[in-house]
Amino acid sequence: MTLEMSWGLLLPALLPVAAMLLVLVVDAVAPRARLAAPVIGALGLGGGAATALPGLVGTGPRLTLCTPAPEGRCLWDGGPLTSTLQVAALLATLAVLALVSIHRAGVIDVVLLLASASGAAAVVASRDLGTWLVTLELATLPVIALVAWRDRRAAAHGALTLLTTSLVSFGLLVLGAALWVTGTGDPTLTGDSLATAWEVPEQRVLVSLATVVLVAGLAFKMSAVPFHAWTPTTLAAGPLPVSALLASASKVAAVGALIVVLTPYESVLGLSPGPHAVVAALVTLTVASMLVGTVMALRQTEVVRLLAWSTVAQAGWVILPLTALTAAGRRAAAVYVVVYAVAGLVAFAAVRAVHGPHVEDRRDLTAYQGLLRRDPVAGGALALALLVLAGLPPGVIGLVAKIVAIRPVVSAGLWPVAVVAVVAAVLGIAVYVRWFAVLIGEPGEDAPARQRSRRASVGVALVGSAVLVLASVLPQLLVGLVS
Amino acid sequence: MALILMLLVPGAVGLWLVTGGRGLDAHTARVVALVAATVGGLAAVVAAAMRPVVDRAWIPDLGVRWHFAIDGISAPLVVLTAVIGVLVVAHAWVEQPWTDTHLGLPRGSAATYLGALLLVETGALAAFAARDAVLFFIAFEVVLVPMWVLISRYGDPKSAAARADASARFILYTAVGSTLMLVGILLLVGQAGTADLDALPAAAGALGQGPQTLIAVLLTLGLAVKVPVFPLHTWLPAAHTTAPTAGSVLLAAVLLKLGTYGLVRLPLANVPDGFARIAPGLAIAGVVGILWGGLICLVERDLKRLIAFSSVAHMGFVVLGLASGSATGLQAALIGNIAHGVISALLFVIVGGLKHRWGSVDLAVVRPALREVSPRLGFALILGLAAGLGLPGLAGFWGEFLALVAAWEPAHHEGVLRTCAVIAAVGAALAAAYALRVARIVWVGDAVPDAATDDPVAGALDRIDTRTPDTRGVELAVLAVLVAAVVTIGVVPHTVLSVTAAAAEALVGGGR
Repeated sequence: MTLEMSWGLLLPALLPVAAMLLVLVVDAVAPRARLAAPVIGALGLGGGAATALPGLVGTGPRLTLCTPAPEGRCLWDGGPLTSTLQVAALLATLAVLALVSIHRAGVIDVVLLLASASGAAAVVASRDLGTWLVTLELATLPVIALVAWRDRRAAAHGALTLLTTSLVSFGLLVLGAALWVTGTGDPTLTGDSLATAWEVPEQRVLVSLATVVLVAGLAFKMSAVPFHAWTPTTLAAGPLPVSALLASASKVAAVGALIVVLTPYESVLGLSPGPHAVVAALVTLTVASMLVGTVMALRQTEVVRLLAWSTVAQAGWVILPLTALTAAGRRAAAVYVVVYAVAGLVAFAAVRAVHGPHVEDRRDLTAYQGLLRRDPVAGGALALALLVLAGLPPGVIGLVAKIVAIRPVVSAGLWPVAVVAVVAAVLGIAVYVRWFAVLIGEPGEDAPARQRSRRASVGVALVGSAVLVLASVLPQLLVGLVS
Repeated sequence: MALILMLLVPGAVGLWLVTGGRGLDAHTARVVALVAATVGGLAAVVAAAMRPVVDRAWIPDLGVRWHFAIDGISAPLVVLTAVIGVLVVAHAWVEQPWTDTHLGLPRGSAATYLGALLLVETGALAAFAARDAVLFFIAFEVVLVPMWVLISRYGDPKSAAARADASARFILYTAVGSTLMLVGILLLVGQAGTADLDALPAAAGALGQGPQTLIAVLLTLGLAVKVPVFPLHTWLPAAHTTAPTAGSVLLAAVLLKLGTYGLVRLPLANVPDGFARIAPGLAIAGVVGILWGGLICLVERDLKRLIAFSSVAHMGFVVLGLASGSATGLQAALIGNIAHGVISALLFVIVGGLKHRWGSVDLAVVRPALREVSPRLGFALILGLAAGLGLPGLAGFWGEFLALVAAWEPAHHEGVLRTCAVIAAVGAALAAAYALRVARIVWVGDAVPDAATDDPVAGALDRIDTRTPDTRGVELAVLAVLVAAVVTIGVVPHTVLSVTAAAAEALVGGGR
């Protein structure tokens, strides 16, 4: 079998790999060049994102790794949606690399980050189960090592939780993939083969089961309820930049993977019977995540735990438009996850700027009393990120993202789910406004001293805020990316 | 051009004041804010007269356009917002919430306070001028955070817990309402295929009874929180009691109007059949609000809360007018809206001033008669109360009178609405009773002495400090503008009615 290759489309995933190899080679040749690894890593990530840019503006199909016609299937799709998610994942990883800080980032950190980024860039583009499964694990497994790498006992505990979760998730994904191949007789995720399988009742049941199992496996990675239990423990125990990675780039990769799985379903939407089991599974995930995540976040006083529960809630919001199973829903999920990733990164960067690299204790809400007054830069960025997450103007992009997310659901006729989303949105406002209220209060007596080495964190927070402000003024820049 | 100025100047200056300009000293900040409010206000008045149109693509993928224009229904509200916007900023010379030091705590900067006022004004103007349903929703949300800041940071200095409670209630109730409204708007826009408010009525006319009713229920429920309609009003008294005077004025005169305006603009204009179906429920809720508000006003001790509950009663009349479904009812709602905006602004300025002077406005505390110690303030209070009870010749009369007329001859559901009209008339009598109660206690100074023993400490303190300086300077000017508006609308209601008439006819006639 010959594959038609177009290397340009593969570059977003290949450049980080190349950078990873280069880092290892340089480290073997010149182990004393400490700055080399982060610089090469940053170039690899930035370069990968740059090569994905043409996909954002390009029209026409961007398919590659195609088998010969007439039975031709393409295993790699570099369309606008894919490219957007690739750019988001790569740049989010770059931001995390900056948060780790260029002086502290060792070779291991850089290599693991690059591996995870290349996995993320590949999984969102893959269209066959083999590539999908391998690259998805490539995107997530290095993160476990990153959590455990730092020398804290709690971090090891967090890593163990994540490892256990990942094993269960991997098992489910393999099972789901096997069921899919059995059901459709086709290892690629295409609408045609699904539609063919859908006509036979037995195959239909098998495929539905396969998808539900795959969705459950992915729900672990997206930290959607009821597969979320690892999230608060791991995020609060691990190093802050890795928590930021889990909440941004990993989330983008997982959502991208879910979008790939759900894409074929558009071809069976109009059929009778429709894909009710899949919709029911998605609705359960979104409703449970939105409500449980928000209610739990309401009770937290430790900020990273609050952000962890908020990431659970936001996972529900990302899945919300996907319940419609339409192209508009997939685009909406991509827009929402990008907005969330940027806002989440800004929040994590601001938290790091406030507490510094050694953040174990006193990450309490009270440490933020009057931050806007004491520290306008970090405080302002954090305030903006919170408003975007809450979906309140002046964080207009957060509000637009919510509109984008609810719209496909309403037009698919699932308006009761939309009404649940209303409740979640309001509770979410309570969560973020609670923190916002602390920020704009009067500075307390015992405010922690301002950290010294925090240029990188402030830089990330500022760049992220600039993106949020720009997107708030011109939401089309972001909303238009994926169409 | 005027439209852009009207939104851009207060918006940009407001944003700058809450971010970069926070360090500005109080005096400069006030001047800057006043200039911005005046320029924005003048632009708004010009825009209301010239009716320009701004229409640009904003988010093409969502079909959302940057589409602003003013028509007969929004013009009076835009002018009202512009005037109130200038008045509340000017009021910063009278009352300075940022210097109220209770327990020695400083409270935020003057610039943030003024910036928040300007941002609320911008959001309201944008919402009134928006000609795109989704844009309307976004503008509707713009006012949330600044208003929340006004209540939670600059509200009643005595109790931080009360501020937190009132501000949280405000933002959460309003968010429930607006997000429900969003679902309704998305459903409407999705089914009709356009978000343009000009094209929507025609496009939505083809919808069946089921979808129309569902959309109308979602939109009406959402907006009813903002109005507020009876069982959903519980956020309002807390917010009014706690907010600084300027915040209360903005809340009553501008934000509540967003709710009624939205009811006219979205369910009434676009899904008239669905709205007519739920109209009896709305009318009953409105009438219950009239009675409930009136009865509470008869016993309420806190004067600010009392005015807030009277707002609930007045909005009951507006809702009743809307529910009648006739052009008269719509006219009644629109003029009642404007009248309530002016009257409640007047009353809140007075009561806020009294609270500032006395420390509290507990009616059970014996105080000297207002007519003796400060006759000008007393006169304004009496005028405001008289307008509030619907005395002919003042602003409040037309809204109530026309609402009753419309409810007596409704377009549908005659039995329910006639009954509602009768009960509402009884409610109007209640308004007279509580207005006289307030006048007797505050103006005549005829408080029941033994009630003061409930709170001996506060009573004693207040008795010692019995000086009530009369109004003068900026406060007098603010009051004079509002009094003039109350009288003008009362004597020549035609100024408002003629502007809204054509648009109202088109709305009610066009939907059928």
